Amino acid sequence: MHNFKYTLKTIFKNKALIFWTFAFPLILATFFNMAFSDIEESEKLKIIDIAIINDNSFNNNLTLKEGFKALSNKDSEEQLFNITYVDCEEEAKSLLEKDSISGYIKIDNEPIVVVKSNGINETIIKHVTDLLLAQEKISIIFSSVEGMYGLKEENTNTNIKDVSRSNLSYTIIEYYSLIAMTCLYGGIIGMYSINRTLPNMNSVGKRIGVSPEKKGSIILGSAIASFIVELIGLLLLFLYTIFVLKIDYGSNVFFIIILSCVGSFTGLSLGIFVASIFKTNENNKLGIIIAVTMFGCFLSGMMGITMKYVIDKNIPIINKLNPAAIITDGFYALYYYDTLDRYIFNVVSLIIISIIFLLISTVALRRNKYDNI
Amino acid sequence: MTIFKTFLKILNKYKLTVILYSSILIAFAVFNMKTNDTSVSFVASKPDVLIVNNDKLEGITKLLIDYFSKNSNIIEIEAEEEAIDDALFYRDVNYVIYIPKNYNDDFLNHKNPEINIKSTKDYQASLAELMLEKTLNIANTYNSLRFTQEELVNVINETLNAESNIEITSTLDSGSLNEATYYFNFSSYALMAGAIQVICLILLSFRQINIKKRTIISSIDYKKYNRVLILSNALFSIVLWLVYIIISFILVNKAMMTLHGVLYIVNSLLFTLVTVTLAFLIGNLVNDKNAINGIVNCVALGSAFLCGAFVPQEILPTSVLGIAHVLPTYWFIKNNELVKGLEVINLNTLKPYLINLGVLIIFMIIFVVITNMLSKKKQTIA
Repeated sequence: MHNFKYTLKTIFKNKALIFWTFAFPLILATFFNMAFSDIEESEKLKIIDIAIINDNSFNNNLTLKEGFKALSNKDSEEQLFNITYVDCEEEAKSLLEKDSISGYIKIDNEPIVVVKSNGINETIIKHVTDLLLAQEKISIIFSSVEGMYGLKEENTNTNIKDVSRSNLSYTIIEYYSLIAMTCLYGGIIGMYSINRTLPNMNSVGKRIGVSPEKKGSIILGSAIASFIVELIGLLLLFLYTIFVLKIDYGSNVFFIIILSCVGSFTGLSLGIFVASIFKTNENNKLGIIIAVTMFGCFLSGMMGITMKYVIDKNIPIINKLNPAAIITDGFYALYYYDTLDRYIFNVVSLIIISIIFLLISTVALRRNKYDNI
Repeated sequence: MTIFKTFLKILNKYKLTVILYSSILIAFAVFNMKTNDTSVSFVASKPDVLIVNNDKLEGITKLLIDYFSKNSNIIEIEAEEEAIDDALFYRDVNYVIYIPKNYNDDFLNHKNPEINIKSTKDYQASLAELMLEKTLNIANTYNSLRFTQEELVNVINETLNAESNIEITSTLDSGSLNEATYYFNFSSYALMAGAIQVICLILLSFRQINIKKRTIISSIDYKKYNRVLILSNALFSIVLWLVYIIISFILVNKAMMTLHGVLYIVNSLLFTLVTVTLAFLIGNLVNDKNAINGIVNCVALGSAFLCGAFVPQEILPTSVLGIAHVLPTYWFIKNNELVKGLEVINLNTLKPYLINLGVLIIFMIIFVVITNMLSKKKQTIA
């Protein structure tokens, strides 16, 4: 109990520790929010600016004229283009040069689409022009065969049904891996507080080592103290992202809390593991935890969400063992899927990993004797 | 000379840190470039489509599949629903088309069967949807005429083949320029983080209290002292910069071999020098070794996120870009984007490029002046 209290006190006194576990995730979350807030919106199809040379050959081609008119109708939900009608090609060219349009259409016997470079807008313009051309062709074929077959009334509306899942916002993965990072950075706290009790690390440890107190209760006290600090850090991150940055984590708050707690428990056991296994100074241990965590987060998509998918698809075993990826995947499964199977699998994996870490640490921490230090 | 020699000695002590840091950053840069080049730039005009076919491969079904094979990248993954959903979420697939059983027969019998789709609802998906609607529209229209299956397929194909001509005015190789721009934008983060980290560590060694006392008491002028230190640090950064330039020639040599390449190089050289002065300023402000890590991460990551090193500037919200104006990285990246779009290179088109370079130089001057002021003040206090 005594040890518990003082572990808490020393943790809060250590500024670097508090920075990495409390402030750094908040700062990163702010950056993410600033950088990614518009990214998905910008990937949606916007109305494309084009120009059409409004000469006789265009005015005589009714299919094209009516077609483009319909597609640029501002009142329609299907509006695809914003058309500037120009009188001569030079005008269209200068608009294209200034990037105020994606391309223009001129009619020289056949319609010709003029664009600056390859691109998605350009491709869409071409497809639409093709479609209008096809309609022209259809009307020709119809007028030739109509007499032969006789027209039958038909519903020509296409019958397409969208069955996509609703939660498709992939930037949320960034925040999930950020939570994963915070959980694992909690390991720094765990490492620090265990280090405090180790006789070969500092003089406080020596004094604790010669005290009659049971080793188990000392370690437990330190661990619980670190766990509480970790949870406070996580709570801060959640409060900040939910209320200040307005991130929508979905509705399963209860499961999210459970996963976060299990995640920080894994972080804690990672910290204890590193503290007890590696016989080196505190800075090196810190380096190991930061390196492992950062690399794990990198693999789980914090620096680019495609990364997680590439690993999941090609070498799944890596992310099945990577705590950061398991935490991220757990959140992802909650967010994206309706069933809990994958989520539960992830939580169980985390618990197993933590237990393995702790078992190894116990073996390493038991029966330590020092002839001299 | 004494100062420079000491500098090299300390650098030698930290060489492992330097190498480790640089190689990690380079690996990141290379890797990100390789995975991101399809998703960040919108050059790819073929959407990634997955077709789950439950029908026999004939008639309309075959026609749809053939059409999409020609006009999109067909993605093959195992038909497990979970794998498909994952692929959609991570944008590996933009559009999934489920062709139901007996689609062809039902279609020919005018039942207008339903097709299920899954979509990421972005540009690529809209394009795929446009293609699907177009094909089905044409097919539906012709279906009202009493064609046989074969006749119908032929006439639809013939109509789909009616393509408009397309002309491209730009002579730029936008693909390789895109890659080069992405590389240089990312390098801003690597350069900044690497330079600040190392320079701060070195400066800190120079400012250990005993060494500092000895320096102050010596006859050397503080301005000269600062100058030599800045020059040595600049030398280090330029070596770092050279490494990135060499890598750029290996990775994106197609773009680097042109006049555009020269513009990229000049721009990034100036940026490197700005970084040196900034690192020097930070190094003079910070007294704690532990704090350096935190500051490096905040400054470098912050600049990278806010100025568009990771996410293209055109996508960033205007408010964020507004804040970014006070950071040198913003002007550096703006210049890279500018170079990417340059059609003709002459004095007139280069004007904005030169202005941006000018802004970088102003940043440099500001940082140096502040550093000198601080350094002078500190000397009197110490």
